[in-house]
Amino acid sequence: MFTKKLKKKLLFISLVVLIIFRFFATQPHYLDGQNLRITARVFQEPIRYSFKQSLNLLGLKIYLPLYPEISYGDRVIVEGEVKGGELINAKLISVTENKNWLYSLREKIINFYRSVLPEPHASLVAGIVLGSKSQIPADFWQSLKNSGLAHVVVASGMNVTFVASFLMSFLAVFLPRRRFLLPAFAGIWLYALLAGLDAPIVRAAVMGSLAFLAQRLGKVAAAWRILLISAVGMLLVKPLWLTDLGFYLSFVATGSLILFEKPIRERLAAIPTFFREGLATSLAAQIGVAPILFVTFGQFNIWSPFLNALVLWTVPPVMIIGAIGGLVGLVLPQLGELLLYLVYPLTWWFVTIGRL
Amino acid sequence: MKTWKYLFGFLILATAAIWLAVFLSPDKNLHLVACDVGEGDAILATYKNFQILTDGGPNNKVLDCLAEYLPFWDKEIELVVLTHPDADHYRGLIEVLGRYRVDKFLTNGTEVSTSDYQVLRNWVGSKENIKEGVKIRAGKIRLDTLAPKIITPDKTNENSIVTLLTFGSFKAVLTGDMVPAVGDALAQNWSFGHVNYIKVPHHGSKNGLTENLLKALRPAVGIISVGKNNYGHPAQETLKILSDYDIKILRTDEAGDIEVVSDGSSFWIFH
Repeated sequence: MFTKKLKKKLLFISLVVLIIFRFFATQPHYLDGQNLRITARVFQEPIRYSFKQSLNLLGLKIYLPLYPEISYGDRVIVEGEVKGGELINAKLISVTENKNWLYSLREKIINFYRSVLPEPHASLVAGIVLGSKSQIPADFWQSLKNSGLAHVVVASGMNVTFVASFLMSFLAVFLPRRRFLLPAFAGIWLYALLAGLDAPIVRAAVMGSLAFLAQRLGKVAAAWRILLISAVGMLLVKPLWLTDLGFYLSFVATGSLILFEKPIRERLAAIPTFFREGLATSLAAQIGVAPILFVTFGQFNIWSPFLNALVLWTVPPVMIIGAIGGLVGLVLPQLGELLLYLVYPLTWWFVTIGRL
Repeated sequence: MKTWKYLFGFLILATAAIWLAVFLSPDKNLHLVACDVGEGDAILATYKNFQILTDGGPNNKVLDCLAEYLPFWDKEIELVVLTHPDADHYRGLIEVLGRYRVDKFLTNGTEVSTSDYQVLRNWVGSKENIKEGVKIRAGKIRLDTLAPKIITPDKTNENSIVTLLTFGSFKAVLTGDMVPAVGDALAQNWSFGHVNYIKVPHHGSKNGLTENLLKALRPAVGIISVGKNNYGHPAQETLKILSDYDIKILRTDEAGDIEVVSDGSSFWIFH
């Protein structure tokens, strides 16, 4: 009765309608002036400013004093008054640390980085390895934003992609290709959980899993289709992402990578591989991302792709050595310390470029 | 093939780390840094691998300063002095204690009940309360405690710790938020001769520096650790007496970190 094309269109339209419906249905309704007591788990890492920390609970922005420090995974009780999407006069009633091994592993590794390396190196390693951005010194964060390097430190899809490709080459040593699926899934999602379930991380984890799945099923995975399916799926589960800038940036960046990365790389053939990879990737991503950044933040650094190309090569070794150093350090602190010192020349280079 | 590549990368990194360590290792001079932490105090004295941090400023900006002036492998601060428990002096120390091994923590013994001070209190394993007359020596560095003589209950600035840092013939007075009465009393019995450096008390407030003190100490440079504030720091009166006595004024809000380097006989200023 229906042609195949029409069926697809209908499916697409009904999904969009469903997302919009879910978006409004799940929007919490608060009245201004209403007093609230929220008990919730913190699912996104709080942002720490000079004199306060801010977190998002049930769609409300909440500012609290810097101490006691609240971490990703903690359960908190907060009281305050609703005013325009914000909980004002917020008071922290209690904060209970998450005793889950995954969260405490994350905390312990970050604390180990802090005890070995000075700032901003410790935060940089924590950001690259675990996507933790909460402790980055304000000045350094600003210079990273100005130079367009901040994406490396925040929970970005790039981290997940590295984990996935690292897992691939690691698993290849032990297992036949067709048995990759489960361990790869486990690895990717464990990392996503460790890194905090921000939109870009989830995006990369979903896409990575779909790519693995398609490969296992012997289907040719069209990158575009995977991108679209991931976006729709994520919005169905969490419609609130419709209002998350990180969500858009992540998808637009990936979209422009799919479109532009290859042609740009081919045109840069004259440049040494070492430099070309990073330059092609960031130029391609910038095509889509730059207009969004410019409209939302009113700033855009024309040199950003070059600065990215200068530092992006440091990310995989920092991730690998940082992860190994962090894990080893929990058992043998001295050895972990020595391993982390190997990261220092790389972060030193990164910090120097970032501050230009 | 791949193994060789990894091994090669490992060796390059190890070599780079060692070169950086050599390149960044400390000289034989005293470096006295007034860290630019905004409205607050954080004064770092470092000599080879020995560090004294006096106060930690109001936020984690002190970490930038420590990272800048300490070699990257040195995560130990031998002595932290908290002059008095005001937020613009102690809050940054919470971050410091979370990241550095602090061997000795000196306070004037008074406490406050704010929640962040309690966090600090929990971080500090053992602290020592000091009064006037305590001497600390480490190689060529000597630290004399000049105040408080007595503790005035329920006051903060009145009980601020004041220290004299001596390195060879170089002398610096670190005053915390010292009040005029304490300054005048110090001036009356001053027996240490002229000094080179004074950290102007209380961010240059008029409720800090006195003319009597300058007459007795005759410092060459006056450092004002100050940031954006609503208290009118530094006060015109303070700036005026400093310039009346021909003292070079350096402010962290204008100059950023202010580093004074001394070899024990002369000194240089970098900012």
